Amino acid sequence: MTGSLAVAGVTPRDVVTPQTIEDLAGVVRGLHAERKAFAFVGGGTELQLGNAPRALDTVVRTSALDRVIEYAPEDQTITVEAGVTLAELDRVLAEHGQMLPIDVVDRERATVGGIIATNAYGRRRQRYGTAKDLIVGVGIVRPDGVRARGGGKVVKNVAGFDLPKLMVGSLGTLGAIATATLRVYPLPASLRAVALHFDGAAGVASAVAALVAQRFEPESVVVYNYGALVVTFAGTAGGVDAQIAAMLEPVAAASGCVDATELSDLERESYEQRERAVRRDGEWRVRVVAPPAYPVATLGSFAASAPLAVPVAYPLMGIALHAHAAGDAPPERHLIDLRENVAAQTRGTGSVIAHAIPDVARPHVDAWPTLLPAQYATMRAMKNNFDPYGLCNPGRYIGGL
Amino acid sequence: MSVATVPDALSARFAAIVGEKNAIWKPAELRTYECDGLLGYRVRPAVVVLPGSTQEVADCVKLARELDLPIVPRGAGTGLSGGSLPSTGCVVIGLSRMKKILDVDLENRVARVEPGVINLDISRALAADGYYYVPDPSSQSVCTIGGNVAENSGGAHCLKYGFTVNHVLGLTIVLGDGEIVQVGSRAGELDPLGYDLAGVIVGSEGMTGIVTEALVRVMRTPARTQTLFATFPSTDEAGDAVSRIVGAGIVPAAIEMMDRLAIEAIVLATGVDWPLDVGALLLMDVDGVDAEVEETTARAREQLEAAGSIEIRAPKDDAERALAWKGRKAAFAAMGRISPNYHVQDGVIPRKDIAPVLREIAALGAGAGLRIANVFHAGDGNLHPLVLYDARIPGQEQAAEHVAGEILRVCLRYGGSVTGEHGVGHDKACYLGEQFSADDLETMMLMRTAFDPERRFNPEKVFPTPRLCGDKPGAYVAHAVEISGEAGRG
Repeated sequence: MTGSLAVAGVTPRDVVTPQTIEDLAGVVRGLHAERKAFAFVGGGTELQLGNAPRALDTVVRTSALDRVIEYAPEDQTITVEAGVTLAELDRVLAEHGQMLPIDVVDRERATVGGIIATNAYGRRRQRYGTAKDLIVGVGIVRPDGVRARGGGKVVKNVAGFDLPKLMVGSLGTLGAIATATLRVYPLPASLRAVALHFDGAAGVASAVAALVAQRFEPESVVVYNYGALVVTFAGTAGGVDAQIAAMLEPVAAASGCVDATELSDLERESYEQRERAVRRDGEWRVRVVAPPAYPVATLGSFAASAPLAVPVAYPLMGIALHAHAAGDAPPERHLIDLRENVAAQTRGTGSVIAHAIPDVARPHVDAWPTLLPAQYATMRAMKNNFDPYGLCNPGRYIGGL
Repeated sequence: MSVATVPDALSARFAAIVGEKNAIWKPAELRTYECDGLLGYRVRPAVVVLPGSTQEVADCVKLARELDLPIVPRGAGTGLSGGSLPSTGCVVIGLSRMKKILDVDLENRVARVEPGVINLDISRALAADGYYYVPDPSSQSVCTIGGNVAENSGGAHCLKYGFTVNHVLGLTIVLGDGEIVQVGSRAGELDPLGYDLAGVIVGSEGMTGIVTEALVRVMRTPARTQTLFATFPSTDEAGDAVSRIVGAGIVPAAIEMMDRLAIEAIVLATGVDWPLDVGALLLMDVDGVDAEVEETTARAREQLEAAGSIEIRAPKDDAERALAWKGRKAAFAAMGRISPNYHVQDGVIPRKDIAPVLREIAALGAGAGLRIANVFHAGDGNLHPLVLYDARIPGQEQAAEHVAGEILRVCLRYGGSVTGEHGVGHDKACYLGEQFSADDLETMMLMRTAFDPERRFNPEKVFPTPRLCGDKPGAYVAHAVEISGEAGRG
């Protein structure tokens, strides 16, 4: 079964599944003592992310660390072990009318530890931010097996260095996330969405500009396939109704859309399904990140001619996702072209990250953009301080960290 | 003691970098820099330099390294935990001359600012365009962004919008070897590459390097803001109201609490027409789109009433709203009206436990024969008990110190933190060891030394050491701007 746990194309020699956090620390201490290379895997939904690790002896699964440690609904915080899935969390939180508003591809598989390590997010980042904004405390197992904590379980806290922030997006290169305390949000009383369809990109941009100008507070704003703008509002009934009405009439009229309709729940979910598919299905998947004013929604240069080429963009966030099948053309060229294009148009401030690369192409491309030398040096120092022997996911992260 | 008239050799070398008028070495002039907002301690630095550019900062850092001097960074000096307290023989690098707003890019909703820019000046510069910088510490009219970055400053409206760390996207920092590094977002892009170094630097209390530029997020001002003001028989009912509001899933922009003593002081100092015969008062902002604000305000009112409010007022216009908030922001300064001295504490507890913790705090005060006023960010569970004392009465100051320390232990017992926004600095290093284990602190040191392997920046801060924890603190003395009422604390 280790084949299905290949990390960025590399199959581990063995897989261990610690049953408790103490076990996890013991396993890591053992691997550290033997100088084995290891990687942590939660639900395994982002195993394609990053470059192939230089070495991988053991995959340490966090799936058995699935306990809710403390849930304080009246404080809007929950402390859980890293292997708790988002689906399980949804069930626990829903009992008290709350939610963790982070969008993932597969809630039944994705784990809390995984979303923190990969800094996973989707459309609702617009309103709620990412794990960086929701995490208030973390317990880790360092690469040497030592357990350490940072932050706490209260929502406001400046005591000590911010270990939770460091762990967000660190992709298991600084140790294992063992526990996390997260800030959660109330389920909205009302949730409604509209879709505006456009002939050209200019209309999309003008509708998005109108949203900002009118100080609307959408939960998410997504552009599908260059032409459909889906805006979701969540909150009190009256607030949502007013914003929906404004979108359907004045905003739609002023932006020149060909069609503006409110979505049924089924239609809204179908769009959300499309967003998840773009994050899950292509053999090539990339994320473009640029300053928000960069028109990512209209970016069409990534293998537009290849089969399955589907873009999803978050125009207020300057983020676009592309997925497509490998096809016949040498795909690494597309990635390189896209990088050059984005860099040129954003004067070097935009970047392209590969979430999935076909194994045949891995030797030819870097999943990550290039760091500036001084940035690299500081990140390298951080990595060396935590993992001097380079045992944790070596080479998978940016800059070969 | 002879008065020096020419700079010593060391000062002269720094003066060569920043210019003679920007190097401070005369003992009388150094006095200003001997402490920050934590006035109980004073240490004279060897020299203070006020560089005017990132390059000058880098050159000063390189020289300090060559001379093996500790470096203590300093913004406006309003910090309350001694984060800018000099180390013996150190060079203080003050950022007060670097106060330009370099660039405002509303399309990308960011502003690039130098560290000496005053917090409120960003919002002032953006007001005409309908944008603002969100984090609003009570000292926002005098404190600087560089200091806010060091402390991860909070403020009343962080309840809904997050703290400094959620609003600083990118930084330029000078590291211990004089290297200039840009970290995080360059132009407003939301996913910077690699480890979140900016997220680690924010709140690192000047121990990672010297920030010389910050790229901050700016936001549209809300379409509407509604303020509510509610009074209660005691802090029990007011605390219950906060729990109910948070528990009901209402997310106000701010919820502030003041108890009877705090109200009395504020009324005496500012003349606001708040009732004096109540036990506690909540001041709350709800903001957002019109209809949402109306509904949320109505729901919040229901919870306030259910918790047993005596009276609920809604300011009818901006002027009334501003007056209510002026009262809140002047709270610490107002304490002078009811007590010759006070010790301000900063701790955090889970929001559901406000009422029982306030009772424990009151009992601690009663046990020591001291009055304690409370004025704080209730929505975040961030307490600011003010332990009142009279330094002229032998033993009271020590008793106040002791009570303030015990309050932190109560916070920890409830699963909270020893600081929500004032920082650890010099003041609370000894308590950090009660909140975190030796392994936790060692891990934090790994983070610090990735930036500053020689531990040159702000040594002797945050991390507990036996030498540090043997010190005895002095009396709290109000900062000049606090006495003038120009700025408050918390």
